Amino acid sequence: MHLHVNGQEHELSLPDHTTLLSALRDHLELTGAKLVCDRGECGACTVLLDGAPVYACLTLAAACAGQEVTTIEGLAPGGGELHPLQSAFIDNDALQCGFCTPGQILAAIALLREKPGASEEDVVRWMSGNLCRCGTYPKIVRAILSQSAEAAHGA
Amino acid sequence: MARKTAKPPAGRPAAAAGDGASSAPPTPATGKRFVQTTVDVEGREEVKIVELPSFEPPPWGSDAQLGIVGARVARRDGVEKVTGRARYTADIVRPRMLHAAILRAPVASGRVTRLELDSARGMAGVHAVIARADIPELRVAGFPLLDGTIHYAGQPLAALCAETAELAARALHAIGLEVESTPHAVTAEDALSPDAPVVRGTGNRTEDSPALSERGDVARGLAAADVTITREYRTPVALHSALEPHGTVAEWDGDRLTVWESTQGIFRVRSDLASALGLPLNKVRVIKEYMGGGFGAKNGAGAHCYLAALLARRTERPVRCILDREGEQTDTGNRPATIQKVTLGATRDGRLTAIVLDAVVALGIGGWEGGPAGIYRELYRCPNVRTSETFAYINASAMSAFRAPGHAEGAFGLERAMDTLASELGMDPLELRRVNYADHDQAKGRPYTSKRLDDCYRAGAERFGWSDRRRLTETRNGPRPRGFGMASQIWNAGGGPPAYAMVRVNGDGTIDVITGSQDLGTGTRTIFAQIAAEAMGAALADVRVILGDTEAPFTSNSWGSITTASVGPAVRMAAMDARGQLLEAAAGLLGVGGGVDAEQLEARDSVIRVRVCGQDRRITFAELGKELGDVMIIGRGSRGPNPDGSTISCFSAHFVEVEVERETGVVRVLRHVAAHDSGRIINPTLAESQLEGGIIQGLGYALFEERVLDSRLGIPLNPTLHDYKVPTMLDVPAIDAFCLDVPDVAANHTGAKGLSEPPLIPTAPAIANAVADALGIEVNEIPLTPWRVLAASTERI
Repeated sequence: MHLHVNGQEHELSLPDHTTLLSALRDHLELTGAKLVCDRGECGACTVLLDGAPVYACLTLAAACAGQEVTTIEGLAPGGGELHPLQSAFIDNDALQCGFCTPGQILAAIALLREKPGASEEDVVRWMSGNLCRCGTYPKIVRAILSQSAEAAHGA
Repeated sequence: MARKTAKPPAGRPAAAAGDGASSAPPTPATGKRFVQTTVDVEGREEVKIVELPSFEPPPWGSDAQLGIVGARVARRDGVEKVTGRARYTADIVRPRMLHAAILRAPVASGRVTRLELDSARGMAGVHAVIARADIPELRVAGFPLLDGTIHYAGQPLAALCAETAELAARALHAIGLEVESTPHAVTAEDALSPDAPVVRGTGNRTEDSPALSERGDVARGLAAADVTITREYRTPVALHSALEPHGTVAEWDGDRLTVWESTQGIFRVRSDLASALGLPLNKVRVIKEYMGGGFGAKNGAGAHCYLAALLARRTERPVRCILDREGEQTDTGNRPATIQKVTLGATRDGRLTAIVLDAVVALGIGGWEGGPAGIYRELYRCPNVRTSETFAYINASAMSAFRAPGHAEGAFGLERAMDTLASELGMDPLELRRVNYADHDQAKGRPYTSKRLDDCYRAGAERFGWSDRRRLTETRNGPRPRGFGMASQIWNAGGGPPAYAMVRVNGDGTIDVITGSQDLGTGTRTIFAQIAAEAMGAALADVRVILGDTEAPFTSNSWGSITTASVGPAVRMAAMDARGQLLEAAAGLLGVGGGVDAEQLEARDSVIRVRVCGQDRRITFAELGKELGDVMIIGRGSRGPNPDGSTISCFSAHFVEVEVERETGVVRVLRHVAAHDSGRIINPTLAESQLEGGIIQGLGYALFEERVLDSRLGIPLNPTLHDYKVPTMLDVPAIDAFCLDVPDVAANHTGAKGLSEPPLIPTAPAIANAVADALGIEVNEIPLTPWRVLAASTERI
């Protein structure tokens, strides 16, 4: 099968039932997406499929053919400049243990792509599928709002 | 000037620069080098031997001029975490690595009657399948690992490893398992009933149950009371639910074992493994660079860790064993359920005359006696206190520490009872707590090193608008009444020895702080870098912190909120030691034609300057390093003893506003104000993150979280993140959490105390008190799920 990940084409020979998460983590060594619940309950495996967030643990790799997969490793490739939202997470201390962080950032990027002027209520609703057991939510909200056009204008 | 012991190493520590003021001598009159001290860990007091440090850094008091300590600098490992580069245990890949899976017991009690392993062993790609007979005698929670007798649902019965994780999971299904069930008890009431089945051979309660404690004369106290209340409170089993499950990668090189483990205690895992496998300590190395949360559940080697090591030895290949979510939610510890029968007696003006607690704790099949009584003995002034704790064994996995074990449970009962008492007395709940302010540690009969709970009350109430709260809301009679609640907290989180650190100055002037501590996500790396940079006079950017590896000097587990106060002073001392050596070397180089000694030098921002008027000679750390060539400057630091005869505690007061939908029973927390006294704050941003996180976990404990075991089958009904509800972003109130930030220099020379666990303690009772206030009812059991709120409302009618 062909997987297009972070701008690179990969040819993989995997069983049909291989999840996107397994393809990324076990075969492409992209371990930023995490396996936590394995059933779409926590959002830690969130990656982008043509810009839309998906639970990689519930997505078959084979179903992603012809689409662009973006993982956290694809945001600032080769140690390059951070995506503004990555910087915003650092600046706002929007992470503690960091385990859910890749999923949080990708979900938030998808939100701001769909709704560049997301309000606080938009953020909270959209992000409620991404669990953070350290309870970093207030700072995650702040980090995302700092990148929201509406919030920026309102400030 | 820092005092030197009888034979100080020449030139150390430097007294120059900002980090210098006089200090008390550390060496007692006895002249002993190794002395005893006490350290509070997770609600229990431990006696430790400590080597007196070679010098005692002067305390960073309120007037200390500090630039980097106290600053809101960004988390040091932020870039690694936002780019996915931070590698957690499940991200570790070793050459030829195999993947393990664990077969777990499907019933709560019984025995294995058939365990057929050959089919799994015959599967292509399966490399080893092991059961009890295949491994050495090794005990977990008091029972043999892979025991054929079943003590709880989820108990490991067999394990295997295969080429892929998927194949390993599939191979589990090929194992032929038949079990015979025997009667079980999964609640304390069942386990303690006269016709209960035997849960544990030694009896269904711990040997020293009931654990009793009494001061004063409770009968007399109750007789002197004008008002007496008696209530029963219940708290649930709560699960840590760290997003990163427990996991191990084990690799042997001959007779040397290296283990990557998601753990709060690398040295504890090392000693557990060494003792279980009969290895010398220096043949076991444990590494934990990043971990995805612990919260108390990851304090030693668990079954998965032993199994990974055993399978790796058997197959002569590295083995990764990561728990699946069900295993994580079933068999990695928990906050045990409690039943607390509480009686409070008070005079008409609110002074407590008696506190009586009769508690039952459902430990699980094993665990330690971390009960709810401590806070009853400590939090409020009361001459007559009697507590009794019965610890029951039940057919469920063993409890473990969970963020303020015991105190979180006890705070719910005590603080609910205090509100009920306030209501009976017609007093403001805050006023009742102020009237009963404890100015010393009554449990141990000695003073606190410092206590600013009164300031927390004042600052918190002011920020919240407590005295005006009734005016803030329109009505309590509508469909969504609002209520206000508060609660306070104590937790002995002063840390202590042993903790060691080294500071190494590299040839280019950069600095490595090396200590065998671990960063759970709390910000330890950042805190240590700030402390070292401050004490060294170095630029923060030049400091790297190396931790999470047993090759580094020893520190204890990151538990009990002790890390900053335990290891921080050792890091500071090591940095001062290194700086002293650096200045001494600089004095020789800068003194050409001028005659400078180390005392006349100061270091700031990685530059050493002569402090003599009219002189502007300077040398950077980098230049100095170059001059020194391969001279290795190594500073050594250790944590000294705690002060004798006083208790080190942290305090806080929380204030909460909730809204309750009368028709559905849904509780929504609107505002949460938290004022904390945790001594000096090294980094306010990280501290606030910790406080917010603790409050949010406490909110889950108050409103949603409850492990449910089916009473008939004895199996967990909600071992998933969907059915075990942890808070989401939608549940979070407006949180205003802050620290007083007043150093406690009697506690240790950095003035810092712990703050990871404290915010969780008062959160649930403050929320419950607010719910009770909103509905004008009593709520005596958490979590306050809608049906429980409705049931409590109905009882009133």
